[in-house]
Amino acid sequence: MTRTYLLAALACLLIVSRTAGAQTATDIVAATDKVRNPQEPFRSTITLTEYVSGRERGHDTLVVFSKQDPATGQFRNLVQYVEPARDAGKRVLLDGRSLWFYDPASKTSVRISPQQRLIGQAAIGDVLTVNLVADYNATLLGTEKVTDATRTDRQCWHLDLKASSDRAAYNRVEYWVEQDTFYPIKGKLYSDSGRLLKIVYFRNFAKRLGAVRPAEEIIIDAVDTSLATTATFGDESYQDVPDVWFQRDYLPRLQLK
Amino acid sequence: MRQGIAVFLLCAAPGIEVAVADQDSTAGQDKDLDLIPKEAQRQQPSANAQDAAPRAIQGASRLYLENALSVSSLHSELAVAAPAPPPYNWQERLFFDVRKEWRLTSRLGLTYSGRLNFRDENDLSFPTHENVINDLREAYLEWQPWDRTYLDVGRVNLKSGVALGYNPTDFFRTRAVVEPLSADPTVLREDRLGTLMVRTQQLWEGGSLTAAWAPGLYKPSPIYTNLNLPSADPMLERTNARNRFLAKGSVNIASNFSPEFLLYREGSQTRVGANLAEGLGQKVVAYLEWAGGRRASLIDDALHYGRETGTLPAEAPSVVPESPRKSFQNELSVGASYTTENRITFNLEYHLNQAGFTHSDWINWFAVGRGRSAATPVARELWYLRGYALDQQDPISRHSIFLRADWSDAFVPKLELTGFVNTDVYDGSSLLQLTADYYLSDTWTVGGLITTNVGAAHSDFGSLPQAANFLFKVARYF
Repeated sequence: MTRTYLLAALACLLIVSRTAGAQTATDIVAATDKVRNPQEPFRSTITLTEYVSGRERGHDTLVVFSKQDPATGQFRNLVQYVEPARDAGKRVLLDGRSLWFYDPASKTSVRISPQQRLIGQAAIGDVLTVNLVADYNATLLGTEKVTDATRTDRQCWHLDLKASSDRAAYNRVEYWVEQDTFYPIKGKLYSDSGRLLKIVYFRNFAKRLGAVRPAEEIIIDAVDTSLATTATFGDESYQDVPDVWFQRDYLPRLQLK
Repeated sequence: MRQGIAVFLLCAAPGIEVAVADQDSTAGQDKDLDLIPKEAQRQQPSANAQDAAPRAIQGASRLYLENALSVSSLHSELAVAAPAPPPYNWQERLFFDVRKEWRLTSRLGLTYSGRLNFRDENDLSFPTHENVINDLREAYLEWQPWDRTYLDVGRVNLKSGVALGYNPTDFFRTRAVVEPLSADPTVLREDRLGTLMVRTQQLWEGGSLTAAWAPGLYKPSPIYTNLNLPSADPMLERTNARNRFLAKGSVNIASNFSPEFLLYREGSQTRVGANLAEGLGQKVVAYLEWAGGRRASLIDDALHYGRETGTLPAEAPSVVPESPRKSFQNELSVGASYTTENRITFNLEYHLNQAGFTHSDWINWFAVGRGRSAATPVARELWYLRGYALDQQDPISRHSIFLRADWSDAFVPKLELTGFVNTDVYDGSSLLQLTADYYLSDTWTVGGLITTNVGAAHSDFGSLPQAANFLFKVARYF
């Protein structure tokens, strides 16, 4: 009888422990989302610098308008390419599963799949404003000391994120978040087939839009490791972004003032 | 699957996992850090322009200079002899392409889009006005009288459609494409003339409504050839020969589904259309584009237009059976895109142009033309039908299949490969094109393309005069 009670108590403990762990993991991801993303609609300029075999090879500059959708908790993004010159004026709408690409040269909007967000060395899907907690289920794997991009050791939670929504860009994400500060330190991004696609480091923590946030990401192509991209965030400001902007027919009308 | 099982096992025993992982485990971390390029290891200058006003960015304008050298090979024998002029053997083209937007006030803007071409060909004299051609694509004022309401006046390129290879709802495409360098339908949309029109658009959170009216100001002009293009004339008679009206609206039915419906009237003909696109999972987008209305067949339309513009004698009998009776004709483009993890996007489409050539029309076309000299009225009329379809941007055959692939960072970074094949379902003949663009830097691009018509002599594409075309280009962006 005593053995039965002990087993039952142990089972309850395991259940409680697991539930508490899951909540903690979700809380951690939610907290680090708040570190990365302002809560009000805003505009930012992202400079992508591409490296091939260690050498700087090209630049992209994007202007991004972001606004949280209260219905899903996820951000809606409207992007315009500013540089390089051959891509200037191209625009992308990323609103949940509604993804449209507009080319001012052909003046047509083409619907794209979530996978097409990830095309190109500097895939826009990697640098847009995203609340991970809205699209992934998180599990806490443990704590680890991780060396960040500046070769500084950080005491981190190690989280495993599985896509819970078809809005998610990746099927699985491994995520390291610094304890106490909730700073994102590192991520590993996996495809549907479980293939490691990219490794992301966060650095250059600075005060941006009212809080200390990472101002730079280093994105390493894990399939072809000779390729890497840095994404630098700047020229940010809170700005009203009307809901009417997030539709295909607004894309040709977007003006950068 | 194995990955999924591993994750499941980790999740199934979180307490044990935490206990194991609670140790400092830096193993493997340094290996990832070594992948950061040395040049990128230095932090960028702090981007904390905290709460600063955004820089003024003129992001929508594009200027570039391109040189393109084309060489063509011709079929040695044609099933139906083609009248002059034949396609060029070589062409050298240097052009300056401009797309520029100016904000005059916060609610008023001016857009200009055009291309200034300098060209020479084996069949052109030099120097002559034909060596200089200016394509005025767009010039219009955009006024926003109220938030979410827009009014555009001027020459506007109004395009519609969700498909890639053929856009039945792109009603303003007819006669608008000028001297294309590529047969790729996605490129054909880039250098085409806009229509003089007044357009208004209203946007709201649940959708949008657009209305456009283009007045018929000129008499229809004959179809241009490569050798009689005007140098500076904006060729408004190509786009404004008839009164045209378009109304279209889209409605956000669901968060990811917003169909578009169109009503179009040209002269006395009315057509309706619809555009639907829906994402299916992570990698697939399915789409359907349809237009329909009472109209004559392609053959009847072509002969009528040829007689109206004086290209064909007014009393000329039809050399192929024609039926002036109009009936409801459908145009359809239905297909899907699929994107792989290797950054290749495939588009597969079926195209229906019900007004186009049937199998028996093709049999007649070849039977009537067999053995005719290129200079005979019969041969001229037969080839006029094909030139008309091309000028209208309509598939000449009733049924065709279109497959396109686009591969970013193909084999090496910055190399983009594009290829498509457009196949006539009746005879299996095809138009094939392979394009390579290599982005040397942010400002320089080099590239080339090969276009070829494949098929038997008595087939749609196999009967065309041009066998293959090779193009080499270099472009400098500013």
